[in-house]
Amino acid sequence: MNFHSLVILLLLPLMGAAIVVVLPRHNTSLIRNTAITTSSLVLLFSIYLIISGDIAPQVAGLWASYTKVWNTRLGTSFALGVDGLSYPMVMLTALLVWVAVLASKGITKQPKGYYLLMLVLETAILGVFMARDWALFYIFWESTLIPLFLLIDRWGGKGRQTAALNFFLYTMGGSVFMLLSLLVLFDATSVHSFAFSAIAEGVSHLDASKQTLIFLGLLLGFGVKMPIFPLHGWLPLAHVEAPSPVSILLSGILLKMGAYGVILAVVMLPEAAKNMQVVLAALGLIAISYGGLLAWRQSDMKKMIAYSSVAHMGVVLLGISTLNRNGLTGAIYQMVAHGFVAGALFMLIGLLYERTHTRNINDYGSLLKATPKFAFFIIIAFIATVGLPGTAGFIAELHVMIGGFERWGWVMLLLSFGVLVTAAYGVRTIKCLFTGPVKAPMQNVPDLRPSEVFAASILISGILFFGFYPNLILDSISPSVDGFMQAVGKH
Amino acid sequence: MMMLNWSIALIPLLPLLAALWIAIGFIFGWNRHEKGEKETAVVSLYAIGISFLLVIGLDVAAVSGVLPTEVRLGTWLSSGRYHINIGFLFDTLSLTMATLVGFITLIVTKFSIDYLHREAGFQRFFMMLSVFNAAMLLIVLASNAALTFIAWELAGVSSFLLIAYSWHRDVATGNAVRAFVSNRMGDAGFILAIAFSFFWLGTVEWSEMPIMIKENNISTLYVGVIILGFMTAAFAKSAQFPFSAWITRALEGPTPSSAVFYGSLMVHAGVYLLLRLAPLLSVEPALLIIIMLVGIITAAYGYVVGLVQTDVKSSFMFSTLAQVGLMLVWIGNGWFTLSLIHLVLHAIWRAYQFLHAPSFLQHAQQPARPVPQWLHRDTWLYNAALHRFWLDGISDWLLTKPTHALAHEAQLFDEQVIDRLTGIQSHANMLSTLSCWEAQQANKVALVDEIGKGNGIFGAFMQVAAAAMHWFEEKLVLRGSGEGLLTLLNYLGKYLENIDKLLMQPRYLLVLIMVTIVIIL
Repeated sequence: MNFHSLVILLLLPLMGAAIVVVLPRHNTSLIRNTAITTSSLVLLFSIYLIISGDIAPQVAGLWASYTKVWNTRLGTSFALGVDGLSYPMVMLTALLVWVAVLASKGITKQPKGYYLLMLVLETAILGVFMARDWALFYIFWESTLIPLFLLIDRWGGKGRQTAALNFFLYTMGGSVFMLLSLLVLFDATSVHSFAFSAIAEGVSHLDASKQTLIFLGLLLGFGVKMPIFPLHGWLPLAHVEAPSPVSILLSGILLKMGAYGVILAVVMLPEAAKNMQVVLAALGLIAISYGGLLAWRQSDMKKMIAYSSVAHMGVVLLGISTLNRNGLTGAIYQMVAHGFVAGALFMLIGLLYERTHTRNINDYGSLLKATPKFAFFIIIAFIATVGLPGTAGFIAELHVMIGGFERWGWVMLLLSFGVLVTAAYGVRTIKCLFTGPVKAPMQNVPDLRPSEVFAASILISGILFFGFYPNLILDSISPSVDGFMQAVGKH
Repeated sequence: MMMLNWSIALIPLLPLLAALWIAIGFIFGWNRHEKGEKETAVVSLYAIGISFLLVIGLDVAAVSGVLPTEVRLGTWLSSGRYHINIGFLFDTLSLTMATLVGFITLIVTKFSIDYLHREAGFQRFFMMLSVFNAAMLLIVLASNAALTFIAWELAGVSSFLLIAYSWHRDVATGNAVRAFVSNRMGDAGFILAIAFSFFWLGTVEWSEMPIMIKENNISTLYVGVIILGFMTAAFAKSAQFPFSAWITRALEGPTPSSAVFYGSLMVHAGVYLLLRLAPLLSVEPALLIIIMLVGIITAAYGYVVGLVQTDVKSSFMFSTLAQVGLMLVWIGNGWFTLSLIHLVLHAIWRAYQFLHAPSFLQHAQQPARPVPQWLHRDTWLYNAALHRFWLDGISDWLLTKPTHALAHEAQLFDEQVIDRLTGIQSHANMLSTLSCWEAQQANKVALVDEIGKGNGIFGAFMQVAAAAMHWFEEKLVLRGSGEGLLTLLNYLGKYLENIDKLLMQPRYLLVLIMVTIVIIL
């Protein structure tokens, strides 16, 4: 049997999960090593696909695709495909899952179930980014929920039950509207198919007001995940209560699923997007100030990073709302950049929490002497949060800024305000963590272990590399962005 | 030609490189302590020695007529119509001065080697001395005002550092600052003069300035302003009235340094500058009168105050002032050559005297003469001379006090208004000193939880906005939707449970069946 490479990539984590199932329950290190091997394989394979030319980057349209009709009566098919938008997300997923698994050394309770769920979750996320059929997309979308719910509910902190339930309800609530919209869309097509291309074809016959209604439904579904203000109620709780490796995935990739969905919706329903443009921009700008100011107010570090994620995803939304080349490029770049930054921050803070058992910023101080490696990585990560030139966030914010200025003019000053607030809490946190009076309990905190240094340095060097050499991503996404621009009807 | 250019550039460069070498050696530690004294001494002595030999070589070349009067090595910077060249002058004035400077600095350097033996700051002293040597050579050789100014400042800085040689003494550092600041007043004039020369004449080359004035018919007023700027610089450097006060304070440095600075070289730099301006001075006779007046006043001042001095160095100092004042008088009369000859002779004599000063009393056979009768009778003048005509006090009252008051008010404004608006705290929320830490241990100070607290206008705005958003988040987003949803579901669940229970009872079940049948029928 000749498997398509995308199918292999999708099923690799699942195969790893299948192996984990049959492993003895108490052999933690064997389970952990299997999970690490699997996630490393996925990561290497996703890189190999680019190198070997199995998928051809830097072309317009799909870089690779695989279609197998599933159910002709329902019009569903097992259609996979990647393009300039989704393949960076696929690679980010592979990378962050690998980092999350590496950072899971502290998980000692029921490791078998934990690593099993992590690998299943990876397949689900990869599926979301690869699906080229709305039915398949929806299935993968929903199937991310189950492992996540269990991961938060069983391995989380004190309020894990509430957090997990809250997260589940929010996302399901949004999904209902998304499903409704998808059914309406399906109804509109003439060929009776859920395939992306068929639905996009069918949409063009709909009038603008109907498109807008459908768009609103999709926006509710994706907006909860992204999250769009004020649908972010689940996020602070879930991020705080989830175990740190899961927080890495939540904020590093799960949020990007929402943004990815919004971009798909905008490209599919350009008329509606144009109608809703102002609303999207307003929501983005609100999220930037709102998330930033609330992050500034938090003394719980995980909560602070969670709110900063709200602000950063606001930048993504703002970039999308411009509906122009620079803005959209910036939005996609920010998705990648934030994946690295949030992943690094949650990982490092999580590892710090493992050692100190406090997340309150005020309990920390003078860590620079005790943990110089922590200090080095965390400081760079916070600097990257601010979007200082030389870090990936800067390239993204600059593109959004330029795109936004082309479309909205001086309103973009609000984005600068958001950046300023980010700097305020970023620098404040660095100061509180590493400087100040010597605190006795902070003097014996062990520094990063070699494997953790390895994982952290991969993320940090990614942040710096894409800050200094943005062309690697910009060149590969630009044909796809051109394609989106054509669909939206603006050049 | 290449060879010549190189050797010319080496004259000021060699001492400078020597200073650099000593500094590097000190940083890496190979010439520290007593064992490094020999190398340090050899490096600085050879540097100035070779420079002096090169100057002698140039003298010979000039006498035999093969040396051009000006050599241009290149352009340092050019912007628009402004150019600053790197060039050297080799006219009679420059060569005479360079020979003098080379000779005296060589002797002083040689003298210092034994004089400073086993001093803690031996390397530091020779580094500074070498910088000073380079600066003096460049002052007299530079072909334009900008290059002269660079050397002028270098000399000022090295003199500042040498006066503060024993930096752990308050008097030394205080005097160093005083001397430096007084010199800076003159520098202001120098900078203005350079700027005006650029602006009105389009050049700062010493040799081009008179030509430009003649060619472009520049108004004498402009020329006067330019010269006035240079004159201020010259008066300050040569400690002429009313800048005379700093020079006695500068005696704090080690003897060799006071010999070169005040006895023989730096104090004459101002005279050199005026001589250099000689072609311009003839344009505006009124300025010559000013120079003469200043010279007369300084000479009188130096003479009278010198009469009442009781220590050797101060007496030398005031007699130096008197002599330099006389040089200015010659310049004011237009006798430039006389002034130059006076300068050279005085410099050599004074250098000898200053180097001799520590053992002067031993060599002097008779006690110092008493204050003459006429001064003895005039109590006011006697008093004034003792107080050196209150020059320090007057400058304090005129300049230091108002500046101090202004600074105080500015600081007050900064603390009361600006800091509050911008939110920069006067005291950081940290334990920066040990005493802070002790106070914190004793619970006298507490560190404030500054999460979510803003400073200044922007901070206050952020705080208010964040508080409002926090309320919204807590009430509506978290409790309203998240927890609210759960409560609602719980409530609904209980309600449904009750209905379920009721339905389980047979009578309600029967009713339900009957209703269904009724509806179907």
